[in-house]
Amino acid sequence: MNKKKLIALAASAVMVVSLSATMVTTASAADFGGKPCYQEGEIRSTNGATNTCAMTANGLVYTPTRQLSGSLTVVCGATEAWCGAMTKAFETKTGVKTKFVRLSSGETVARLEAAKANPEFDVWHGGPADGFGVARNAGLTEKYASPTRNLIPKKYQDNDGFWTGVYVGALGFCTNTKEIKRLGLKVPTSWAELLNPKLVKNISSAHPSTSGTAFTTLWTQVTRLGSEALALDYMASLHKNILQYTKSGVGPVAIVGRGEAAVGLVFSHDCVAGAEQGLPLKVSFPSEGTGYEIGGVALVKGSNNPNAAKAYVDFALSRDAQNLGTTVAAYQVLTNPKTKIDKRMVKLNTLTVVAYDFEKAAAAKKALTAKFDATIAVAPKV
Amino acid sequence: MSKITTQIATKPVRQSKGGQAKQKLDVLTKVIMVVTISLLLLMIILPLANILVRSTEATGLEIFSRLLNDPVTQKIFQNTVVMGLSVGALGTLIGFLLAYAQTRLQFRGKKLLHVISLVPLISPPFAFATAVIVLFGRSGIISSDLLGFRPTLYGYPGLLIVLTTSFFPVAYMNLLGMMKNLDPSLDEAAASLGSSKWRIFRKVTFPMLIPGIASSFLLLFVEAIADLANPLVIGGDYTVLASRAYIAINGEYDVPAGAAYSAILLVPGILVFLLQRYWGQKNNVVTVTGKPSGQVNYVKNPVAKFLLLVIPVITATFIVLVYVTVILGGFIKVLGVNNTFTLDWFRYIFSGIGNDAIFKTTLMALIATPISGLLGMILAWLIVRKLKRGRELVDALGMLGIAIPGTVLGIGYAITFNHVLKWGDTSVLPQLAGGGAIFGGATAIIMIYVIRSSPAGQRSGVAALQQINPAIDEASSSLGASGFTTFRKITLPLIKGALLTGLMFAFARSMTTLSAIIFISTPETPILTSKILAEVDSGRYGASFAFCVILIVLVLSVMGIINLLVRSKTEKVELVPMT
Repeated sequence: MNKKKLIALAASAVMVVSLSATMVTTASAADFGGKPCYQEGEIRSTNGATNTCAMTANGLVYTPTRQLSGSLTVVCGATEAWCGAMTKAFETKTGVKTKFVRLSSGETVARLEAAKANPEFDVWHGGPADGFGVARNAGLTEKYASPTRNLIPKKYQDNDGFWTGVYVGALGFCTNTKEIKRLGLKVPTSWAELLNPKLVKNISSAHPSTSGTAFTTLWTQVTRLGSEALALDYMASLHKNILQYTKSGVGPVAIVGRGEAAVGLVFSHDCVAGAEQGLPLKVSFPSEGTGYEIGGVALVKGSNNPNAAKAYVDFALSRDAQNLGTTVAAYQVLTNPKTKIDKRMVKLNTLTVVAYDFEKAAAAKKALTAKFDATIAVAPKV
Repeated sequence: MSKITTQIATKPVRQSKGGQAKQKLDVLTKVIMVVTISLLLLMIILPLANILVRSTEATGLEIFSRLLNDPVTQKIFQNTVVMGLSVGALGTLIGFLLAYAQTRLQFRGKKLLHVISLVPLISPPFAFATAVIVLFGRSGIISSDLLGFRPTLYGYPGLLIVLTTSFFPVAYMNLLGMMKNLDPSLDEAAASLGSSKWRIFRKVTFPMLIPGIASSFLLLFVEAIADLANPLVIGGDYTVLASRAYIAINGEYDVPAGAAYSAILLVPGILVFLLQRYWGQKNNVVTVTGKPSGQVNYVKNPVAKFLLLVIPVITATFIVLVYVTVILGGFIKVLGVNNTFTLDWFRYIFSGIGNDAIFKTTLMALIATPISGLLGMILAWLIVRKLKRGRELVDALGMLGIAIPGTVLGIGYAITFNHVLKWGDTSVLPQLAGGGAIFGGATAIIMIYVIRSSPAGQRSGVAALQQINPAIDEASSSLGASGFTTFRKITLPLIKGALLTGLMFAFARSMTTLSAIIFISTPETPILTSKILAEVDSGRYGASFAFCVILIVLVLSVMGIINLLVRSKTEKVELVPMT
């Protein structure tokens, strides 16, 4: 028994050390604050002394130095690969030990609320702005006007600075070309076609309570049809054709890619990434108009490391950080206009888009998803 | 059971109430008793009480009223119970047939069949969910590519297959241990009186197995109703309470609603637990007589043999297929769609997605394992040797850890330990769960691992202790040793074999559990199984298979190491029933 006790003791000692060990870096000599710089939004960091290149009355100069240390936890709604690339790049640049947890946006808000008094996250990165609006309304995020916000088009950010857009994605249909042929149908190009009885249990969508993608689908119906009641009616008819509601928004891509269902309701960039992996997938958009998302970044209220969190927000808006997207198969349209345009990105101006009101969507989200959940998601199909 | 145990058990003594072994308790024993019982109250009763309290808030009450009035909610409850009953029945049947084949049939590959039957214990259930879709889904390799079928597995059929295969080994182990201990001389006696084999089975063997069958059924029932991962992955429109509770808490942050679903889930769980205890006591006709005497009368009729082996062989083939799929799947881009060899999934996992989770999950499970073993053994010792009054109660309290659906326990922990625990105005315990807690919330996770695993140790400890003559203890105490010293120096070495088995499965169980942990996993304490769920849900089956391979390798190596560390040369460790 003694041997085992010793092992347990040693193991707990190891854990204590590894959990409490945080990287502490010492300050550097040179202070770049106020010095001229050349590329707006660029982050410079030496031994934790970090500046952001910002446009001021005096032209492009570095913001006052922020001394960064400690660690940072990002709750990330983008793909694991993108979250990983972003946090790794930030850690390399600033020396702040940065980790991420990938959660869908409904889950993120739930976790932020659960740990309101003692937040476990510092920054929320990625996921549709509707969720960021909910978090703002619930007092879970904090206003932060990043100097780099000037670069980002006004329509892609919260007026008061509670969140800023990092990418834009359009909702689309992701169709398995083999399966749709087998069913004797054409690749759908309208919301109405999805109600075709031939598609019974052949459509895959995420669950609007957990997934921001699926909430975008739901709110698109509200906007398109004019009322919540009509939207829920549509979703109830669609329900018969749904195979399974997944937890995360990207889930349907693989289900459809694998041929378990014929059509997935996803953001088109996720479908493009799936097709690139060799899955027989084709993107299409509904003629009645489709919804879109603005993927946001925001500071979590009560963050344990607000300095690093703010630097991360600046970083997420910068050209270099956003350009990481295409290197990890994330083909969202980027909000920083200086980023590279990739031909795999959707051309937003070619789409019929509904007048998506993010603030209204955020205000309605909780009650609407609860209604969906109680009346539609659990309804037996027969 | 170890040889040393059975040697000493030549004259087994069944404990009678207030037996001669229970002398006055010394101080140390009393302290141990108080500490242990307080721990149980803190780790089980408090979270449960909190669930009941929170569920009476507005949105929780609404769920209760829906259960009474709304057919959809009633359907969910019905689904849950039907799933529990069918997994319980099918799993017990398969477990029974496999155990019967092991003990009463002679055939080639018996050992192999035994090993295969235990394999599901060391893997997370998603291994099955994903592999089943890849093999038998609408575009499955076997169903569609080979046979031309397009079955829709999402929903009841898929869940039934996946849950049954994941959980039947519990029934198998339970019944195998029991059937090995059945005395064949009873069969012989019946046979010599002219009974047919079938009659012997019906009238002699089966009645003695009823407690084992009942307890297997009930255990599988609880596991099946608690599972939330598989319903999330392949539940289709077959909605169950556990996944509802998950959506309520992790999707809508409606804690009272989640608590209410848990409270509802608790009802069949507790009911089944009480039934099990009732059955266990009423029908315990198995006489413990040490080593079974007589010769096992094997089934020789080829037709009977064939019929008895059909289901075991199908099950084993299925398990092998699943594991081949899992292992291959980790090295292939998209198994069944794009069959190119790749190491990308492992690279992806070790690029930072999984390293932390792999390390921390293993570490936490390693810390929890000896603690749960010790707790189980101390409880067993208290129950069998020390307690006069209330031992039934303590036994039940200890066993609650597996009787409560994991989902319920996890939600209870999230509610209870997500903030500083206060008694009036004084803080009793710091925050134990959640990202802001001490050790990043690892304490609460380890507590759950401990409380979910200690019942196995407790069960095997009780079984082993009941076979050891208390006179040995008495000899020790009369020489002046304290109660605890006697436990440490005399009792523990004697029940080492049982303890070891308990430890190995405690570790495996901790590594593969999800339902209880998903609610209290934090950024500091990422959990391997919840990473796998995320990969499955995002459709990266390759990554989830790679994770499963890593998990299986880890569990097997640690089991091997524990085995080497604890096992002494003379002992041969065998898998005994834990529950």
